[in-house]
Amino acid sequence: MAAVANVPLVKVSINDVEIEVPKGELIVESVKRLGLEIPIFCYHPRMKPVGMCRMCLVEVGFKQQDGSVRKMPKPQAGCTLPASEGMVVYTDTEPIHADRRGVLEFLLINHPLDCPICDRGGECPLQNNTMAYGPSTSRFIELKRHLPKAFPLSTYVTLDLERCIQCGRCVRFTEEISGDHDLAFRFRGADMQPSTFQLTDFESKFSGNVIEICPVGALTSAKYRFRARPWDLETTPSVCTVCSNGCNVWFDHRAGKFVRINGRANEAVNEEWTCDKGKFGHEHYNAADRPTQPLVRQGDGFAPTSWSGAYDPVLAAFAEGGDRVAALVGPRVSNEALFLLRRLFERAFKSARVSSNWRRTPGSGSVQGTIADVESGGPVLVFGTSLADDLPIVHLRLRKGATNAGARVVNAFSRPTEVDRFAAVSLHYRPGSELALARGLHGLLAGTGATAEAVEAETGVPADRLREAVEVLKEGGTALSSQGLYDLSDGPQIVEALAGIARATGGRSECWATGANEQGAIELGLAGEGATATLQACAEGRVKALWLVAADPFALHPDRALVERALETVEFLVVQSPVGSEALAYASVVLPTALPAEQDGTYTNCERRVQRVQPAVPPPGDGKPDWRVFSECLLRALPETPLFNPREVMEAIAAEVPAFAGCRYEALGPEGTVLGGNLLDTPDEPAMVGGQA
Amino acid sequence: MSFEVFRDVAQPIIAGFGITARRLAEQKVTVQYPDDRREQFPRTRWRHVLTRYDSGLERCIGCSLCAGACPARCIYVEASENTDQERYSPGERYAKRYEINMLRCIFCGYCQEACPTGAIVLRKDFELANYEREDFVYTKEMLLEPIRG
Ligand code: SF4
Ligand code: FES
Repeated sequence: MAAVANVPLVKVSINDVEIEVPKGELIVESVKRLGLEIPIFCYHPRMKPVGMCRMCLVEVGFKQQDGSVRKMPKPQAGCTLPASEGMVVYTDTEPIHADRRGVLEFLLINHPLDCPICDRGGECPLQNNTMAYGPSTSRFIELKRHLPKAFPLSTYVTLDLERCIQCGRCVRFTEEISGDHDLAFRFRGADMQPSTFQLTDFESKFSGNVIEICPVGALTSAKYRFRARPWDLETTPSVCTVCSNGCNVWFDHRAGKFVRINGRANEAVNEEWTCDKGKFGHEHYNAADRPTQPLVRQGDGFAPTSWSGAYDPVLAAFAEGGDRVAALVGPRVSNEALFLLRRLFERAFKSARVSSNWRRTPGSGSVQGTIADVESGGPVLVFGTSLADDLPIVHLRLRKGATNAGARVVNAFSRPTEVDRFAAVSLHYRPGSELALARGLHGLLAGTGATAEAVEAETGVPADRLREAVEVLKEGGTALSSQGLYDLSDGPQIVEALAGIARATGGRSECWATGANEQGAIELGLAGEGATATLQACAEGRVKALWLVAADPFALHPDRALVERALETVEFLVVQSPVGSEALAYASVVLPTALPAEQDGTYTNCERRVQRVQPAVPPPGDGKPDWRVFSECLLRALPETPLFNPREVMEAIAAEVPAFAGCRYEALGPEGTVLGGNLLDTPDEPAMVGGQA
Repeated sequence: MSFEVFRDVAQPIIAGFGITARRLAEQKVTVQYPDDRREQFPRTRWRHVLTRYDSGLERCIGCSLCAGACPARCIYVEASENTDQERYSPGERYAKRYEINMLRCIFCGYCQEACPTGAIVLRKDFELANYEREDFVYTKEMLLEPIRG
């Protein structure tokens, strides 16, 4: 709602209070400045107003010359009414009350009022508005409309047509926000219903959001169906750790068990959206096969033990140290745990063999801007990544930039992706010709004598398209890709060529991580030699003891045979894992740990934003947070004052790792903090308390 | 025995027995519990019962409104979905788990008031004593009315 610069202010009067608002601001937003609210259904601040539900009616008039107010004869919809000079608005008059009652009575004519079994019951705008503004009884005694209930609209979304009030929010979401146009209204009048098209399904990768924006229980979550009522739930602000975007979410839980994920607003990251992978990707919190107590190998099976019973053999096996011991870390381990792991290996085991990089080739990507910068409107080259899969929120932001700010997008990928829908130019190259295309584009942009025809021959992209792409990108084109490129054998060269493109156009070069804390591991210097090298060393018997930290090598590494050989050959294998995995079968010691929302810590997202996660539910059984495991090992191995909590660990990180300089929990703020950026300007750093500086 | 002693001691005792003797003829208020039990008032609120429809289907739809209304937070409801093969209640939803912690319950009857289907009712069974704390958590099976034959 912040006033946009260079929009003139106009004087309006709302309920006889005069205020100045930017010209053209919608009245439904203006009233919020006075702390008032107009009831709404179809209006959504992030979508264009359509005025479909008529819930937001207000009385409007204009000041006359003689100072009197002339009201318009009919009420107006506040959500489509732009503020203009001298406008007089009344939101709380008797006629408006009558209008609201009337609108609600109409909406409820066909609404089944099955609130007791509806998953929206208790957090439903229709319930709330009816309680606040509606009639207490209905005069409608005829038969209500009957339509299919619990229709599976997509894997995740269940549609109950009887409950729909035809506000169009879901349809507009797919048109304006996710951009996949999967939903539309069919039929008219009382028969109108949101639906997919005849030959397509609701396959949007952002389908879960319509559950949250539907103002009634028409669209509900198939996963959360009948799991709990809102008043049964407790909620904790959290950060999604499924991918590197770091969407802010509400982690809803009941009796210590995860129940559902809802989007939480963070204008700098996800605005208020989530992707389906994240929203529905937390079921492993309730998995039955999660390890619950430390186990040590006994013959073919495991014997349960205490934590100290597990630490002793582990520390004994790793005591040899040096190059003979190694650790591999998964992509979802917090900054604090990563830091302590590195300290444990450096100080106690004198080993540098700690690696978080599971890609085929080494590389640390490149971060020059932020997620929000993507929507600024400059031309963007999306290269070698299916953005909606790898960086879903970046995809939404880029689409917003393309549709709202006119950003011209070039999409280069071997097959069609969602980005093609709004891209100005799509370059579909032959798989394997990424490097040729990146170098070709660089050559064309830098004017090094390369010809589009030569690039066409190598990549299969028509020369005309290439020329169009160059035309789009040449002024400030940003190269946007994901570190998934490093899974290609020539990954580093491709990233280098992309950096060259950015240099040639004067844009930014972004090659972003895709794992929740992949970037954090890079910043903390854990990228290491790479998992492939470590696994090879294990398979060849050069590494005696291996420590897997929240990493299932079978899922993370493409070469199954190598993983099997490595895990079989290595003498001592510690599997420290919050979830069951195939690697458990090879373990010498199993250490059960906590998932991200079960512990305190911070994560560094793809734009290097450090965000805090708090413990929402307890880990099952004896599970401990990763950082605590390392801290306790350090305590046993070294005569050092241990770091007692993640806050102290972060202080130690800030003191030791230049990228994190100034990073304290107090400095993180509600939106998290981008490393480097504003952190360095934080004045008056308080003295460190109990740290290791 | 002096007159004073008779007046101050014996006479009141005799008078007292006199009252008792007169009351012997009246109807008794106490009953020989547990051999005899008095009929409770019609609106007495004691042990909960989950009722059924005449068809035998459960009335409870697992909406958790009782749990929301309960000032002692002693009700736990977990819902699930009816299928055509396995139908517990009419409609889509039924209570998979329904538990009341009788130690916490204050028998206020708000759950009964909140129930949209009249499934949970407080009836007249007041003999709730038990030996183990765990036994005071009444499960759905214990609360559910038997199917009338
Ligand atoms: S399903 Fe919900 S969001 Fe979609 S039109 Fe109906 S009421 Fe609106
Ligand atoms: S909110 Fe204005 S018409 Fe729906």
